[in-house]
Amino acid sequence: MEKELKMENLTIYAKNITILTGDEELDKHLEIGADPHGAMCTGTGHSRADVKHDPSAPKPKMKLTQEEQDIYDGKKGEVLSKVMKTVIAYGEAFGASKLVDLGGNPHTVLLGGTPAVTPVIDILNECADAGLKTYAEYTINPRPYDFYNVEVDPEHQLKLQSMFSTQTELEKMHVRLGAKNYNYWSCACYWPEVGNAPAHGTNLAWSESSAVNYANSVLGARSNRNSGGIEMLCNILGKAPYFGLMTDEGRKAKWLIEVKTKGEPNWSVLGGAIGMKVMEDVPYIVGIDKYLGQVDGISMGKLKDMGAATATNGAVGLYHVENITPDAIDEGRKLLAKDYKTYVIDDEIIEQVRKHYPNLWTQKDAKPTRAFVGCPHNSFHQLYDWGMKVTHELSNRGQERVAIPLHLLCSTLVKDHFMDKHPELVRDMIRAGITFTNSCPLTFLGIPGITKTEFAVTNSNKAREYTNSRFFRDEDILEIVLSGEIPEEAV
Amino acid sequence: MAKRTFKGRPILPGKIEGLATVSHIGLNTLSTYKANVIGGVTDKALCTDGDNKDLYNKDLNGAILCLPQTIGSTTGGFVLMGVAKMGLAPKAMLFANHVDSLAIGGLLMADIWMDYRIITIDLLGPDFLEAVKTGDPINVSEDGTVEIG
Repeated sequence: MEKELKMENLTIYAKNITILTGDEELDKHLEIGADPHGAMCTGTGHSRADVKHDPSAPKPKMKLTQEEQDIYDGKKGEVLSKVMKTVIAYGEAFGASKLVDLGGNPHTVLLGGTPAVTPVIDILNECADAGLKTYAEYTINPRPYDFYNVEVDPEHQLKLQSMFSTQTELEKMHVRLGAKNYNYWSCACYWPEVGNAPAHGTNLAWSESSAVNYANSVLGARSNRNSGGIEMLCNILGKAPYFGLMTDEGRKAKWLIEVKTKGEPNWSVLGGAIGMKVMEDVPYIVGIDKYLGQVDGISMGKLKDMGAATATNGAVGLYHVENITPDAIDEGRKLLAKDYKTYVIDDEIIEQVRKHYPNLWTQKDAKPTRAFVGCPHNSFHQLYDWGMKVTHELSNRGQERVAIPLHLLCSTLVKDHFMDKHPELVRDMIRAGITFTNSCPLTFLGIPGITKTEFAVTNSNKAREYTNSRFFRDEDILEIVLSGEIPEEAV
Repeated sequence: MAKRTFKGRPILPGKIEGLATVSHIGLNTLSTYKANVIGGVTDKALCTDGDNKDLYNKDLNGAILCLPQTIGSTTGGFVLMGVAKMGLAPKAMLFANHVDSLAIGGLLMADIWMDYRIITIDLLGPDFLEAVKTGDPINVSEDGTVEIG
């Protein structure tokens, strides 16, 4: 189906945008941004729409140091030369002027050994065979399955083992290149317990959209939104091409987002609304600092949830929050680009976005079968919050166990910290039927055929976007987990 | 039909003639090749992205793809490498817009590491996608010139 969209900034492609859900009534509410389906979005984290081809212009050439030129010329081995040539070609495609040294620790999205990843495994093994490693130990996204806590059904295990047929090969490759151990496999590698939180201003070549978004925004580090594979070559080289979100110019905000809700917004929905509007541009967000106070253990979880949603409903690689995030504290509204646009988000828009997230269950009125909470992975404070909420409400109702499994997604290290500080609460949570898992809901809910038997709910806009799970607010998830029913007011 | 000529930026240059396959929306790489990279299909590259009415269910093996850019998951780059290894990749990707960071990583790694060139030209301009239709004869030159008709 094709439809004409009459909104600002649309180009000719909009005439041919295909609606996502097949339900026009639903889709017209999803068309909040200039590019509601990402058809014009390049995914780089900043728009390249203004770049035109000039055949007479000289091809961009990076200035290399002598050491870099030597690597390029093969003086430090043929394989490292190929790494350098690939990274330079990547940078020159985006007009990068130079390479910059990387700091902190790398993070990669390369979590699963599916057949598609085989060429990357081969290439990175070629690097390892040549004695190459990443410039520092690195963290990785969550392992794709957890046979202890989630996929306990043998049929699910077999299907996942078949889907991830080269998982062992991938993991061996990671070990050879300098990956940290399994405890450090988490999409939220920046939590203090996991410890991969680079300092303000550190240049990075990370992949995983939510981690790049958090590192750029909350930590003030500098990374582009790299595709899985190319980021590893940068990290083996210890250098990345300098363009896009690594530059001062690329970090300017093209949107001023004024949040004017009457109370604290749902952070995932707010992020979704922002992402749909700005797509891949940088937003400068005002009006939410009063709900955050400062960057601490509690507000970090809110920023993580909001940011991940901007990166999934849009392709935001960096956002600024007035008075909160490091770049905004340093520079304030000087970060707004010339001719920036303004978008006001109020309670009506938040509700509009939330209510029109589609119900993609294969049986629309099915009863929920399980809940996934924490995508990206929960923080210590989020685990505590959920533990207290669920156990208190069970106690109030005189109920011993939750009605459907509640999977709290988190790094093993965050769970260990939580167990250390609150052992009795953890005991009560486990007795109540809550599980902790360091895996990823996207893979479980991607098992072939699973949509016919599983009707998952989630508080994560990211999990909602990439699976057929249904999104609910935290308070609704709590009721669903306790009763096994979807409350009327939640829909 | 009258010939029309467009001049783009040859990132991975090459010469090819054939028929165009056009996507007017961003090509979601993972969704497009799901059957190959997850489903185990190795003899065809049938597009599995139901949102892409231009390409859905078309065999993209060896296609000369005309598209705005790719979109979707950061797996996009290595998905292209995966279908290249299966011998099912497009022969050329002709981008109307600036190439995206998802596709380019995979296209460059396939070229440099797998010796598998998918001819890549970008910045052909929005008029290019207005002009080209699926099935049109198309001629791509080394210098980034694309002739339709």
